[in-house]
Amino acid sequence: MSERTYIEYDNARITRLDGLALRVEMYDGRVFENVEARRLFPITGASRYITLLDEDGVEQAVIRNLKNLEPDSRKAVEETLAQYYLVPKITRVLACTEKYGKLTLKVETDIGEHRFEIKHVNTDIKVLFDGRVFITDSSDNRYEIPGLRKLDKKSLALLSPYL
Amino acid sequence: MIPEDILSTAPLPERFASQAAAMLLEGETPLFTIVGDLDLKGRYNESALVVTDRRTLAFDQYHAGGVYVAEHAQVDKAFVKRMYGNAVLRVALRGEAPRDIFRFTYSVASLCDAAALFAENIAGGGDVRQEFDIVKATFDKKKSFCPKCGRALGQQGAACISCTSKSTLVRKFAKYVRPQLKLMVLCLALSLVTTAMALAPPYVTKTLVDTVIPNKDLNALLMLVAILLSVYIVQYTIGAVRGYFMRIAGDRIVAGLRNDIYEKAQYLPLSFYDKTSTGSVISRVSGDTSTLQAFMLRITQEAIIQFFLMIGIIVIMFLMNWKLTLLSLTPIPLVVLGARYFGKRIAPVYRKIWRRWAAVSSILTDTLPGVRVIKSFTGEQRSAEKFESYNNEWLIEDRKAAKLSNIFPSAVTFFVTCGSLLIWGFGGKWVIQSPQNISVGMLVSFISYAAMFYGPVNFFATLNDTYQNSLTSAQRILDVIDAEPEADFGKGNLVKKVKGKIEFRNVNFSFDRIKKALTNINLVIEPGDIVGIVGTTGSGKSTLVNLIMRFYDAYEGEILVDGVNIKELDLESYRSKIGYVQQEPIMFKDTVFRNIAFSLPDADVEQVIHAADVANAHSFIARLPDGYDTMLGERGVGLSGGERQRLSIARAVLKNPSLLIFDEATAAVDSETEHLIQQAIERLISGRTTLMIAHRLSTLRKANKIVVVDKGEIVEFGSHDELMALKGKYFKLIEIQSMSEKIRAGKEAERFE
Ligand SMILES: Nc1ncnc2c1ncn2[C@@H]1O[C@H](COP(=O)(O)OP(=O)(O)OP(=O)(O)O)[C@@H](O)[C@H]1O
Ligand SMILES: [Mg+2]
Repeated sequence: MSERTYIEYDNARITRLDGLALRVEMYDGRVFENVEARRLFPITGASRYITLLDEDGVEQAVIRNLKNLEPDSRKAVEETLAQYYLVPKITRVLACTEKYGKLTLKVETDIGEHRFEIKHVNTDIKVLFDGRVFITDSSDNRYEIPGLRKLDKKSLALLSPYL
Repeated sequence: MIPEDILSTAPLPERFASQAAAMLLEGETPLFTIVGDLDLKGRYNESALVVTDRRTLAFDQYHAGGVYVAEHAQVDKAFVKRMYGNAVLRVALRGEAPRDIFRFTYSVASLCDAAALFAENIAGGGDVRQEFDIVKATFDKKKSFCPKCGRALGQQGAACISCTSKSTLVRKFAKYVRPQLKLMVLCLALSLVTTAMALAPPYVTKTLVDTVIPNKDLNALLMLVAILLSVYIVQYTIGAVRGYFMRIAGDRIVAGLRNDIYEKAQYLPLSFYDKTSTGSVISRVSGDTSTLQAFMLRITQEAIIQFFLMIGIIVIMFLMNWKLTLLSLTPIPLVVLGARYFGKRIAPVYRKIWRRWAAVSSILTDTLPGVRVIKSFTGEQRSAEKFESYNNEWLIEDRKAAKLSNIFPSAVTFFVTCGSLLIWGFGGKWVIQSPQNISVGMLVSFISYAAMFYGPVNFFATLNDTYQNSLTSAQRILDVIDAEPEADFGKGNLVKKVKGKIEFRNVNFSFDRIKKALTNINLVIEPGDIVGIVGTTGSGKSTLVNLIMRFYDAYEGEILVDGVNIKELDLESYRSKIGYVQQEPIMFKDTVFRNIAFSLPDADVEQVIHAADVANAHSFIARLPDGYDTMLGERGVGLSGGERQRLSIARAVLKNPSLLIFDEATAAVDSETEHLIQQAIERLISGRTTLMIAHRLSTLRKANKIVVVDKGEIVEFGSHDELMALKGKYFKLIEIQSMSEKIRAGKEAERFE
C-alpha cells in the first residue's frame, strides 16, 4: 500500500476540465488528469475528506478539507461536487399525507418545489443526532433537512409524527 | 403531432409536445418520451426527452432554443452517467466531445438507460422495431410498480394489493377474531350477567337506608345481606370463568397473528431484509401482537360491557331522579372534547416510542450474536453505552407518553368527581328541603351509581389512547403481513428436471439504483459445464449467483434455465433443484443431523450419513461425542469454519440437486481440508451444471469454463487455456495466485520440518 497523497493548503492546484473531470497539479510535480471528486463522508462531513478517483475508480489523492484549499481550487471542486451530489435541502414541508403506510410529501427545497413518496417511513427517514434529517424516496433519491430546529412550526408539525 | 398515447412516463407537457410536433420531419415517427424532473443546472423543472425512429430531442430550457437534437445516425456514444441523487444522459456525436443533454433524478434513470442504448444501437445499424421492443420492455418493467403507491406489483398491470383493497384494518384483523367468535360471545353473555348484577347492590342500599334501618327490621336486613352475598358469589364466580375464557380467546388470537407474521416473514424477499432490521421484525412479532390483542379484546368485550353498563346506569338514574341525573352528566362534554385533543397528542408519541423500541431491539439482535467481536475488541463498555443511549431515547419518549396518558385520565376523573360534588351539594339540599321527593336512601344509592358511572366514562375517554397505541401496532404488523412476498408468477409451473443450461441475457442489476452491481451480463452455460467464476472481491460474483437463486428479482434483462425465464417457474420447485453452498455457511441452533437434513426434512438416517460422507463431514461428526446428535449453538457455534462448510455441502448434497452453486466453499480452510472439500465437490459435480466461485486456482482445476467478473461486468469468458493465452485479467490473477501459492507451500513445508 503506497502512501496516500493528501491535498492540503497550497500543495496542489485543481482546475476544472470538461464535465465533472478535474485536473490536479501537485506542488511536487505530479499531475492527475481527469480525476473526479467524491465525498468520503457524504452525510456526516460533506466538505471533509474528498477523494479524487481516476477513470478506473482508483483513488489518486484525498483532499483533507475543502476549506483549506486555495480559493480557485476549492471552487473547482465544489462546483463538480455540487453537480454530482444532488441532495435537495428541504426548507419547508407543504403537505404530508399517509396512506397504507406510505408517505407522500410535498416540499419546498433549495432547488424548487417537489413532490415525492416514501415507501417505508421506518427505514427511509433517518434523524441524525445533530438534528439533520435524511430522507430516501421511493426512487432512491435523497433529500436533506438541514436542521429540524430551522424548520417552521407547520412543517415540523406535519413531519414530527414520522421522525 | 405527438400521439397522446405515446409510450411515456407521464403526460408530455403541452409546450414540449407542440414544439416537438413542429420539429418532426417528413415520415419521422415519435416512439417514446421520458418526462424528466430536473433541468441541466440541477433544479426541479420540466424537461423531456422525445425519441423518434431517427432522432432524440432533448427539451431543457438551458439548451439553445430550448431543445437539443441528436440524430441517431450521428451518435457515437450515448450513456447515462449516474451521480448521487441524479443522473445525466450524455451523448457524443461523431467527432464531437460528449455533452449532457438531459438531466433527471433516479425516478426515470432506468428508462434513460434504455433510451441511450436505443440511440447507440440504432447508430450501430440495429433494427428500429427490435430495439424499440427492448425499450418497451423497460417501460413495462417500470409499470410493474404501482403508479399510485410505488409498491412492486407481482406483474405489470396487476392490481396493487394495497391500493385496490378497501378492506379496512378492522376487516383485516377480523380474520383472527372470527375463529374465537363463539368463545367471545359466550364471554360477552357472561359479562352482561355480571354487569347486570353489579347494578343491583346500590339499589339494595336504597331499601336498606330508606326502609329497613328506619323500621329496625332485622329479618329484612338478614334477607338483604343474604341477597347481596349470593349476588356477589355469582358475580365473581362468573367473572373468574369469563376471565379464563377471555384469556384463552386472546391467546389464540395473538398466536394466530404471530404465526402469520412469522410465516409471512419467511416469504419476504431478501431486499426486505436488506432494509429492515431483524430487531424491528422481532418487536412486531412479540410486542405489537400483544398490544393488538389487548385492543381487540377491549373493543370486542370491554367496550360492549361498558356501553351496557353505562346505559343501564343512566336508565336507572333517570328512573330514580332525572334532575340529579342531568347534574351528574354535566362534565361529559368536557371529557369528550378532552379525549379528542388527547388522542391527537398521544398518537405521534406512540409512533416514536415504537421506533425507539425497535432501535433498542435491533441493537440486541445485532450485537449479541457478535459478542465475540465485541469482546475481542474490548468493546463491552462501548456496546453497553450504545445500548444505554438508545434505551434512554426510548425512556424519554415513554416518559412523554406516561405523562400524557396519566394526566388525562386523572383530569377526567377529576371532572367527573366534580359532577358528583354537584350531586352531593344539590341532592343534599333537596333531601333537606323536600325529603318527600328525594329520600336519604335514594341519594346514597344515587351517589353509588354516579361513582359506577365514571368507570365507563373513563373507559371511553381513554379508549382513544389504546386505540392509537394499537393502531400503530396494527400498521407495523400490516407492514409485514401486507408486504409484497417474493414474486412467484410461475406458481404451479413446476420444474421437473433441470438439464442445466443457464443463460443470462442483457442482465443489469443494482441493489440501490445508485451503483450498478452487475452490468450487461450476457452468458451461456451449457448443461454439465463446470464453470469457475473468478474476480476480485466485490466484483459481483455472489450477486451473480444470487440472481440465479432468485434472491433478487428487480433486475433488467432475462435469466433463462433450460430456455425458460426463471421468473416464470414455480419458485419453490425451482429452488429445490439447486444446491447452493453459501459463502458464509449458516447453521441453526439444532442438532447436526437436523442441520444437514434441513434441505430434505424427510430424509432417512442413511441418506444423511451418506451425504455427510460425500461432503467429507462424516469422519469429523463421528468423532464428536454426541455424533449426529450434537447440538449446535446459534448460527452453528461449536464447529470450526471448515466443519461448518462441510456441513453446508452435505446439506446441498442431500438435496440431490441438478444445479450446484458453490460460493467460496473453501475460503476459510487449510489446504488439507480444502483438499477434502475439493474431493467432496468433485464427487458431487459429475454430470451436473456447476458454478464455482473461487479465489484459489486449485479449486478450479475441474472447471471447463472460466468467467472473469470485474466491477460487475464479465470481462473474460472461456476455458482455462484460452484465457491463459489471452494474457488478460485471468492470466494476471493466476500469476499472482501461483506466486503466493508457492510462498505458502514453502512456508507450510518449513512448518512441518
Ligand atoms: N445487499 C446488498 N445491498 C447493497 N449492495 C450490496 C449488497 N450485497 C452486495 N452488495 C455490493 O455489490 C457488490 C458485489 O458484491 P458481491 O457480494 O457480489 O461480491 P463478490 O464478487 O461475491 O465478492 P467476494 O469475493 O468478496 O465474495 C459489492 O460492491 C457489494 O458492496
Ligand atoms: Mg461473494
